[in-house]
Amino acid sequence: MTDANSGLPDPNADDLDLDLTPASRPGGDSTGGINLRNWLIVGALVLIGGAVMFQALTNARVFFYNVDEAVDQQAELDDRTFRMQGTVVTEPAKANDGTMTFAMSFNGVEADVRHVGAEPSDLFRVGERVVAEGSWDDDGAFRSSQLLVKHSEQYVEDNPDRLETDPGYEPSEDR
Amino acid sequence: MHWEFVIPGYIIVLGGIALYGGLLIRRGRRLAEQLPPERRRFLD
Amino acid sequence: MGRAQSSSEADVSPSASASADAATPASRAQRLSTSSRLTRVLGIAGLLLLGIMLAFGLWFSGPEIAMRDSVRLLYIHVPSVFVAYLCFGVTFLGSVQYLRNQSSFWDLMAHAAAEIGVLFVVFVLVTGSLWGKPTWGTYWQWDPRLTSTSMMLLMYVGYLALRRLDLPGEVRSQRAAVLGIVSILNVIVVHYSVKWWRSLHQSQTFGIDTQMDGLMLFSFFLGVIAFLAIGAWLLVHRFRVGWMESQLDEIRLEHALVERRNEGRAYPREDDLLQVRPGES
Repeated sequence: MTDANSGLPDPNADDLDLDLTPASRPGGDSTGGINLRNWLIVGALVLIGGAVMFQALTNARVFFYNVDEAVDQQAELDDRTFRMQGTVVTEPAKANDGTMTFAMSFNGVEADVRHVGAEPSDLFRVGERVVAEGSWDDDGAFRSSQLLVKHSEQYVEDNPDRLETDPGYEPSEDR
Repeated sequence: MHWEFVIPGYIIVLGGIALYGGLLIRRGRRLAEQLPPERRRFLD
Repeated sequence: MGRAQSSSEADVSPSASASADAATPASRAQRLSTSSRLTRVLGIAGLLLLGIMLAFGLWFSGPEIAMRDSVRLLYIHVPSVFVAYLCFGVTFLGSVQYLRNQSSFWDLMAHAAAEIGVLFVVFVLVTGSLWGKPTWGTYWQWDPRLTSTSMMLLMYVGYLALRRLDLPGEVRSQRAAVLGIVSILNVIVVHYSVKWWRSLHQSQTFGIDTQMDGLMLFSFFLGVIAFLAIGAWLLVHRFRVGWMESQLDEIRLEHALVERRNEGRAYPREDDLLQVRPGES
């Protein structure tokens, strides 16, 4: 009933601050924190992480080929889907069925592109670097289903003064 | 042009900072009321 | 969650809050928060800089010739990454310090910084996505930069989850410190991803090829210092919240200890035991 039954080594109040060990251990009911909620959190994280890793690895070879490489490896690439980077060199022509045709080049190698799909962003124009996703067609043209514009690290401010000072400047059509 | 992307971006970021900061301050006030003064190290 | 927490905190120790009230007269009552002179200076500076930055970023500076107004997202997108990088750097440093000398200051600092870092990486992804649509033509691509950034976010969310696990304090801090150190690799990968791999994303904004016109550069610069001030302000507050929580946990532990001791006795009160010791007297 007294100290002997209590399981405590010495109930003397004098050693109160010395005997800290039992209480600083985790509570018996939550040892190691292995409960369902924690497992769910960890599991969800592992799943999401795995999905991201998978995505990353499937795209890991290279995010895109440059036009010259893609032309070089045309035979090996066959009808595989890949991305191709290059600079737009010809004004895109639009057919009635929505197909957009233009030429892209990199390192002096040019390729014809036929794009069927969503409109590229407003930045798309001759001289811009673009990344097209698609595959080589039988006739040697690149069939693109997605057209992304890759912006450079050059940020040029569009202010009216530039008109006089910079002869190379052309105001964009959208203003 | 493209303001429909700029405005939500600024609202989310500045709103996010305000929301997080506000909750943080509230949490801090509640905790501060419970803390005895001799434990107030690193708080000034 | 906040309510449950506060109710459990309310029963921490009536004596603790009572003594706080007693020792703090009305003049000190205002100071019962995580604010201090440091945070006030940081907060006011941050808000002022933010105001100027908004004026320049959204008004005085012109649109970019190709990106038009979407370039304005840069003034918050890139500063957000800087804050996140710095925060994860603090987490790394704090983790190293904790493993070296079990400093609870650095342990709490590492935790606080990781939380702020995660918040700002979310901002980075949101603003980047909103910027990507009008420029690249897509909200998202599994490009090296974007993929590694989302992995970095997940890793630090994992760090925060680990800090919430119901483990003994020291074990948890130790594991978190290891993760806090390992995760810095991911930050390096994110930063150099545009250099190491071909990427849709443009290179580092402070790279060799970068060119930015006057007012745009100024707005960007304002954004950086405004965000740094705000990030520091948040970090100090978050650290203090963590510090107070750890202090209250300690108090709670001491109280629980006394209670458990008393439970084991025949007499509920220590005073009684001091007077009558059965078996001895």
